[in-house]
Amino acid sequence: MKRAPNRGWPSTIVGIILLALMLFPVYWMVNTSLQPTGNPLQGGWFPRHPDFSGYLTALRDQGRNLVTSLVIALGSVTLSLGLAAPAAYALAQFPIRGSNLVLFGILITQMVPSIVVANALYSAYNDLGLLNSYLGLILADSTAGVPFAIIVLRSFMQSIPGEITEAARVDGAGRLRVFRAVVLPMSANALITAALFTFLFTWSDFLFALTLTTTETVRPVTVGIYQYIGAQTHQWNAVMATAVLASVPAAVLLVVAQRYFAAGATSGAIK
Amino acid sequence: MSTGHRAVARARFRESLARWLFIAPAAVYLLLFFGYPIVKNIVMSFQQYTITTFYTGAPPFVGLQNYSTILSSDLFSKALLTTVLFTAGSIVGQFVLGLAFALFFQRSFPLGQVLRSLLLLPWLLPLVASGTTWRWMLDSDTGVVNAALRVLHLLPSGVPWLTGTSQALVSVTLINIWVGIPFTTTILYGGLQDIPTHLYEAAKLDGAGPVTTFRHVTWPLLRPVVSVVLVLGTVYTVKVLDIILVVTGGGPADATETVATQSYELSFQQFEFGRGAAMSNVLFVISLASAMVYLRANRRAQNA
Amino acid sequence: MITPARPPARRSAARLGAGIATLALVATGCGGGGGAGAGSAPGKVTSITALDYYTDQTEHAQWGELLAACGGTVGVTVEQTSVPGASLIPNVLQQASSRTLPDLLMLDNPDLQQIAQTGALTPLDQYGIDSSGFAKGILSASTYDGKLYGLAPDVNTIALFYNKDMLAKAGVAVPRTWAELKAGAARLTRPGRYGMAVDANATFEGTWQFLPFLWSNGGDEKQLATPQAAQALQLWVDLVKSGSMSKSVLNWTQSDVSDQFVAGRTAMMINGPWRISALNEAKNLHWGVAPIPVPQAGQNPVTPLGGEVWTVPQSASKARQEKAAQVLACLNDSANMLALAKQHFTVPSRSAVAAQYAEQVPSMAAFVQSVEAARARTGELGVKWPQAATGIYTAIQYALTGEQTPEEALQHAQQIATSP
Repeated sequence: MKRAPNRGWPSTIVGIILLALMLFPVYWMVNTSLQPTGNPLQGGWFPRHPDFSGYLTALRDQGRNLVTSLVIALGSVTLSLGLAAPAAYALAQFPIRGSNLVLFGILITQMVPSIVVANALYSAYNDLGLLNSYLGLILADSTAGVPFAIIVLRSFMQSIPGEITEAARVDGAGRLRVFRAVVLPMSANALITAALFTFLFTWSDFLFALTLTTTETVRPVTVGIYQYIGAQTHQWNAVMATAVLASVPAAVLLVVAQRYFAAGATSGAIK
Repeated sequence: MSTGHRAVARARFRESLARWLFIAPAAVYLLLFFGYPIVKNIVMSFQQYTITTFYTGAPPFVGLQNYSTILSSDLFSKALLTTVLFTAGSIVGQFVLGLAFALFFQRSFPLGQVLRSLLLLPWLLPLVASGTTWRWMLDSDTGVVNAALRVLHLLPSGVPWLTGTSQALVSVTLINIWVGIPFTTTILYGGLQDIPTHLYEAAKLDGAGPVTTFRHVTWPLLRPVVSVVLVLGTVYTVKVLDIILVVTGGGPADATETVATQSYELSFQQFEFGRGAAMSNVLFVISLASAMVYLRANRRAQNA
Repeated sequence: MITPARPPARRSAARLGAGIATLALVATGCGGGGGAGAGSAPGKVTSITALDYYTDQTEHAQWGELLAACGGTVGVTVEQTSVPGASLIPNVLQQASSRTLPDLLMLDNPDLQQIAQTGALTPLDQYGIDSSGFAKGILSASTYDGKLYGLAPDVNTIALFYNKDMLAKAGVAVPRTWAELKAGAARLTRPGRYGMAVDANATFEGTWQFLPFLWSNGGDEKQLATPQAAQALQLWVDLVKSGSMSKSVLNWTQSDVSDQFVAGRTAMMINGPWRISALNEAKNLHWGVAPIPVPQAGQNPVTPLGGEVWTVPQSASKARQEKAAQVLACLNDSANMLALAKQHFTVPSRSAVAAQYAEQVPSMAAFVQSVEAARARTGELGVKWPQAATGIYTAIQYALTGEQTPEEALQHAQQIATSP
């Protein structure tokens, strides 16, 4: 059994209290979203007369943007893992000259402020016609996922015993087959962590969404929320409603993923 | 014999080619999407790049002038200190609380998984929404935090969270910790999960208490993950921009101006893009220096 | 022995991933496209593009209608794109460097001179657009190097809003001078409510709110370290020190200030007419407007001029520029000006139309009066304004937090304003 025996309900209660403290701002957002005026000062601590107009507005306007965000996030996860997993495996298990340099280079990429990348990409995208496209945003948002995924996956894959992969190769499997059939399943744990983070990075990305789109055709919800923040007027109830709505599908996905995360953890254990 | 040698050499070449093919796609991607912006930024930092340059595209080369201007301004030394304090405070807070949460969730209990997933919410919310909410919550007169402090009789007058020059830095640090806990907790939790249970059982059999177990079983096996969390955490925190801009705008009285916010303001408020690029390169160097310091200390600790 | 488990989710996840990737590639074809509009068959322009920052739904819709109507009169459709306010200039710069500026570009008036300096805009005299009768403030903001580059259909400025009930109950008359303001605010302050509120935050908004006090006292943005400027700053410092104004003003946006006023947490505020619809929605709020208090009785307040100008950027196609200029002229004609002003509670830019407007909408009379004398922020310093603006809000922040005295703060501000 991977986990210690059940701690039981006292832990649950402590857990709920801790989460309540951590998530109080989220509650406050929900509270504001249900205020009729959206004026944060006029509501009490509790929405006594909940007004759902903010949610209706958000659903009406942001539905498409939520789907856009979802498509881009899932696409970015796929691309990031597709690029990162083989690279992480190679860096972890193959004795390649210059792998330290590559790793250092990856660490360096994490130090670059996103604004620098976004501004540079604008002109390139403009020439290539990648502005306002799903592909363009998927490529751009993966800049957050790929390096991170390589780092996380590599540190995990380093712990895969060489004998297992050697054994498979001796059996005649090519490197790719070894990778697909042996390494990936064993790395389910780390893969899901990397997927989770890439999803979260992309879902909450604002800068690339703002810089690399000039029209409303492809507009992730992080930019869509600005529909309610005008130059002078702010519809806070719609803003907060959008924020809450934007986190629901992502939260659902995360709960589902975490379940497989746990399963991956137990099944990946070979020790 | 030479054919044998050639065959071996060819096979070895094919081997390294195959290995490099695993890395190649990612390497190409990173070179394109990071290499180009980095180079462009460095070049821009040596030019006098203003609004006009965007249109005419002919920026004059000014050598190190941008760097000397920004480094000699008195705001820079203040921003540097603020950056150090902000980063150190955030990392310590995120790590301690993240580890505490990770350890708490390590043992399973009813609703444990759901709660652990909910912990990710601060990260999911658009920063404009969560930042503004924090700004309201921390308002000295109308914010709920001070209201709670007053109701609980902890501090009758409340704290000037966002209007006091020292308190403001504490506030943005706390908010940044709040935003960063999901990241730290998830990674540390993953690391804890990879520690084999039989080691805990063995420690228990040896009669070790929770603290000793942590020091001798958990911590050593967690070290690599801790490295990742600390280095990446530092690198990410040094870059933090949105939170500070939304919550305090760099104020009050420049109390929350960091090198990152300075770089942004130089470029997008003053329209001095050359200087903004120079400042972001300074930011990069700070990141690099902290990472190297940490990695070297880590290596020394491992060899010790 | 190892049993590499294959969690079923992974396989279906892989399939899902492939599906997403395909979808993305397909969608690329559908979603691709740049900023330049369609319909550029040589000679015949059927549509032009416009860029603004009216992201708020209602505003976006109202401007969309007007742009469509004006476009219709000259035979083009107008593709309107709105981006968040803070990102308008970065967008404009990116588009300038990639030569993909829209045909019709809206700019906040203090930004016009800097963009004009780049050479990206076309002077309006070549299109024969009538710019007579416009308030002098807007013309000075829109002029660079002697040429006019933009026109604003409507302008606005700030004034003093007050809560009629609160003033009546406390027996306070509407303050007209600084002394009256201080006394009145003190009388109106009680637990849970401040007498006065402004936006003193560390952005150009804070500068904007301070300008009426600076200018009405004879201060000038060309030289900030003057006694007149220090007196103006001292007024704000005194209001905070005496407790009549919350220290949180250091953090409030104009929107926050308005929220405080609507919630009854401040009896008076400095704000602009764009808040009027929100104020009208609030039940039980009886508000009034008065010109901003002046240092001595009998003086006239000098307030900053707000409002967005429309410009015609350089384009490869002269025909598009012509069409855009025609739409611009239509936006700025008297009838549309008046309609827009009524929609948005702003003031028409042509003085004659503004006078008409004041008669038709008496509640806006205070604003019409203030606009006449309003000054453009870039009127004197031109492209050097952003530095001075940064200096001013920095001074406000340092003075209100008590880090520096107003004199020291303004000296520091002057350094910032004049640094290379």
